[in-house]
Amino acid sequence: MKSLLIILSFLLSSFCLADPGPVQSLVRVNMTSQSYYFYQPWEKQDPSTRRGLGAVIAGDKVLTGAKYLANSTYIEIEHPVTGKKLPAKIEAIDYEANLALLSPLEPMFPDREPLELDTDASAGDTLEAWQVESNGTPLIIESKISRTQVGTTFLDDHEFLQYEVSGVMQFRGGSVTVPMIRDGKLAGLLVSYDSKEQVSEVIAGPIIEHFLTDIADGEYEGFPSLGISVSQTLDDQFRKYLQLPENGGGIYVSEVKPGGTADQSGLKKGDVILSIDGNPIDARGYYTHPEFGKLEYLHLIRSKPFVGDNLKLGILRSGENSDLIVTLDKQPASAELIDPYMFDRAPRYIVLGGLVFQELTRTYLEMYGSDWKNRAPFKLSYADAYPSKYEKEGLDKLVFLSRVIPTKNNVGYEKLSHLIVKKVNGTKITDIKDLDKALAEPLEGFHKIEFTEFPSVIYIDAEEAGKTNVQLKKDYGIHELKQIE
Amino acid sequence: MFVTLFRLSSLCLLIVSQVHGEEESPKDDSFYEAIVRIENTSQKANYSNPWNNGSIRRGSGTGFLIGKNRFLTNAHVVSDSRLVYLKKRNDPKPYKAKILHIAHDCDLALLALEDPSAFEKVPPLYLGGIPKLDTTVRAIGYPVGGDRMSITRGVVSRIEFNTYTHSRVDSHLSIQVDAAINPGNSGGPVVQNGKVVGVAFQGYNGSVAQNTGYMIPVPVIDRFLKDVGDGEYDQYVDLGISEFNLLNPAQRRALGLQKYEGLGVMVGAAYKAGSAEDTLQVGDVLIEIDGLPIASDGFVTIGADRVNMSEVVERKFRDETVQIKFIREGKEQSGEIKLRRFDPAYISGNNYEVTPRYILLAGLLFQPLDRNMYAAHKNRNLHQRYIYNYYSTDGIYEERPEVVVLTSILPDEVNTHFSMFEDNVVDKINGVTIKTLQQAYDSLHPEEMPDFHVIEFIGSGRPLVLETDRVEKAHQRILDKYNVTRDHYLEKPEKG
Repeated sequence: MKSLLIILSFLLSSFCLADPGPVQSLVRVNMTSQSYYFYQPWEKQDPSTRRGLGAVIAGDKVLTGAKYLANSTYIEIEHPVTGKKLPAKIEAIDYEANLALLSPLEPMFPDREPLELDTDASAGDTLEAWQVESNGTPLIIESKISRTQVGTTFLDDHEFLQYEVSGVMQFRGGSVTVPMIRDGKLAGLLVSYDSKEQVSEVIAGPIIEHFLTDIADGEYEGFPSLGISVSQTLDDQFRKYLQLPENGGGIYVSEVKPGGTADQSGLKKGDVILSIDGNPIDARGYYTHPEFGKLEYLHLIRSKPFVGDNLKLGILRSGENSDLIVTLDKQPASAELIDPYMFDRAPRYIVLGGLVFQELTRTYLEMYGSDWKNRAPFKLSYADAYPSKYEKEGLDKLVFLSRVIPTKNNVGYEKLSHLIVKKVNGTKITDIKDLDKALAEPLEGFHKIEFTEFPSVIYIDAEEAGKTNVQLKKDYGIHELKQIE
Repeated sequence: MFVTLFRLSSLCLLIVSQVHGEEESPKDDSFYEAIVRIENTSQKANYSNPWNNGSIRRGSGTGFLIGKNRFLTNAHVVSDSRLVYLKKRNDPKPYKAKILHIAHDCDLALLALEDPSAFEKVPPLYLGGIPKLDTTVRAIGYPVGGDRMSITRGVVSRIEFNTYTHSRVDSHLSIQVDAAINPGNSGGPVVQNGKVVGVAFQGYNGSVAQNTGYMIPVPVIDRFLKDVGDGEYDQYVDLGISEFNLLNPAQRRALGLQKYEGLGVMVGAAYKAGSAEDTLQVGDVLIEIDGLPIASDGFVTIGADRVNMSEVVERKFRDETVQIKFIREGKEQSGEIKLRRFDPAYISGNNYEVTPRYILLAGLLFQPLDRNMYAAHKNRNLHQRYIYNYYSTDGIYEERPEVVVLTSILPDEVNTHFSMFEDNVVDKINGVTIKTLQQAYDSLHPEEMPDFHVIEFIGSGRPLVLETDRVEKAHQRILDKYNVTRDHYLEKPEKG
């Protein structure tokens, strides 16, 4: 009788799929990616494959982290029990928020039970990390949200609501993304774990909701930004100087990015932001969220509203209070002088007789390792930190000579590298397309290339360079001598 | 023109007078009497707490008699000196000496005894020439490991331009020998056939390379002695340009050098305030210096030797001239350049015999950017590092002759919120763009005191604001608390 019961319950559990669980609602995501080799931008680096978990949500879509999908070449979804695989594609991806939505290229496994979203988890709540062992059995690890904060899980300078979760975490099958569940609903995605401190970072439900809502209208615009730098106003002398009350709040606008949301709406350097949409901002830049407690003001700008929404800023300018309505906008990464990240895009370059010209990107600088800020060529990393000097000169991109591949026609130039290009054949170079155009018009048979610093000017024989380019293809196997799109 | 020829012929002379043969010990023991131990008590300026007088240290080196009451040694042996004694071989008595001339750019100094009687009968050592490669030399001095004179032998390994580490920024001819040269040897003679062929001056730390000592060769010594001949040391001079070798055929044709086979270097950068600023510009091609054709790798041939063209300028003194021929836009031109030092390049050179300049206000320490200050602080600020590295090449000195930095803060309630400004470069004070330390001082001490001092920093969007009422109260309190004896020192030192 007892054995029959066990068999019955087993049958029940295998046929009734009403309840979501790790085995029912997850899929493995196998991601192969291959990034460009910026030192030789016509080449790609070795491909690498990572395994993560994805949460199945309504519409047979799979939600996962974006980090390891950068520069992806092949993605597949794997059934956690049967091991059956389906090729998949990216529906939408946001590297700033570290979120991606995938869909299979063939019909989804029919037994997947979609997860609903939970956007209310906050400090003190217990979350379950759902995983599946390699033999197909579920693994659930409980841990508590110790703190709700605004921070980054992937790219610097992009901070969103996240949960900090305390407790030991084990990862099965090399997983890099783990769905976090509260009461059977998806409350977040665990994307990083510090084994020493035993804390994990979880992308919070409200950010996932924002991401999915943005996708739902058919056009993904991403999370808006204001385009300002701010500083605290704790300093009593500074407060007095700004005519702020002694014990109040407010953050000082120390920089306004030209062309950004704040600039377009008339916010100025020196203004003090006292409130955002009626929420008073304290002198450290925090406000009180009804559920999450103290949060950085950034949440009110980046995570809650959408591109096109209006925000009301209460500001103090020269001692006078006023309200400023800003219409939120978002600038693509590619609009920056120096691209802060280059995913799924080929670096733009031109090879001329062995001289390799590129547009400077932070990804290029990051080739110098984690300490790139100190190890990368100083002029270039300084330009990354303070691009305004070049922006004021009207440059859209910083074109530089990255290296010289020795050939017959660049004898004497072998040691030149990391020189910012000013003019070519008399034409000012504001991006790689300018360079391409300028190279079509050599001066008396020579290309005259001017740099911002020593040796200031070099010449290349235009006809010889053309021949050398052919030779370069042969000798060094450079299949593509330019990539300017 | 006479001067020019004279210098050049002296250079030739040095080269032909190369010493031949194997090295033998002198028969006459009096030779060693001319070599002295030098004991120096120094006080090195303190750039972290510039109101302090600096730590007092003792050190020793070697020197030698080269003429009537004239002792030659390294500048670094007697730098920042408060008291110098010479000690004679086999004589326990210290003899008090004074420094007549000190040349930090070539690491040489000339000393004299207050009472020269003890050395009246000692014959001086004579200078030889440039020793040949692979010949033996002897280094004599008082290095670590004992108190008595030490003699080591080695072979001349290499003769080339090298950085003189005492100043960090100067490069001159130097000779590498494989004789053991150790601390204390500094300033001592390196001899061959009874003549001095160099002054031992630097080596490598044993972990980098072993048995590589360096000596200052006779041409550099000679130049120093000539320079001080008029009673004053005038320092080395420089063209104030950077040359780019013209090895590329297309570049040569584009610059119109078809007629000048194998000749010419291009001016790749010409610095404002450099000697050549009115004569040369970027893109000019230098083909001749003082009548010597310049090869496309920047070398000239003097007698039988190929030397870098800068060697020609090296031999010259302040306000002397070089004659140049150059090509601009395909046309040959000639010019004369009056030589001076290119001062901005010395921002990254060590300074000695200096009193640190600073302003301390409300615990905020402001100092002009230079090597000494840079070495004493953390320099975390990117702009400061940028300015330090590109001050001379980017012409920053034109707009900001002095770069004033808030280097550190003595904590007090008046400045407790300012730590984020540490290491930042001052842009403006009370609306005035700061170009000198004096200007910073004047801006902070106006006749009519404003309610606030507003200090803006390069790259920092938020200014530092000081309530002047509070400054007044805090200032004395901070001076007392931190034992600051003096709240500013602004005087500019004589160039030395």
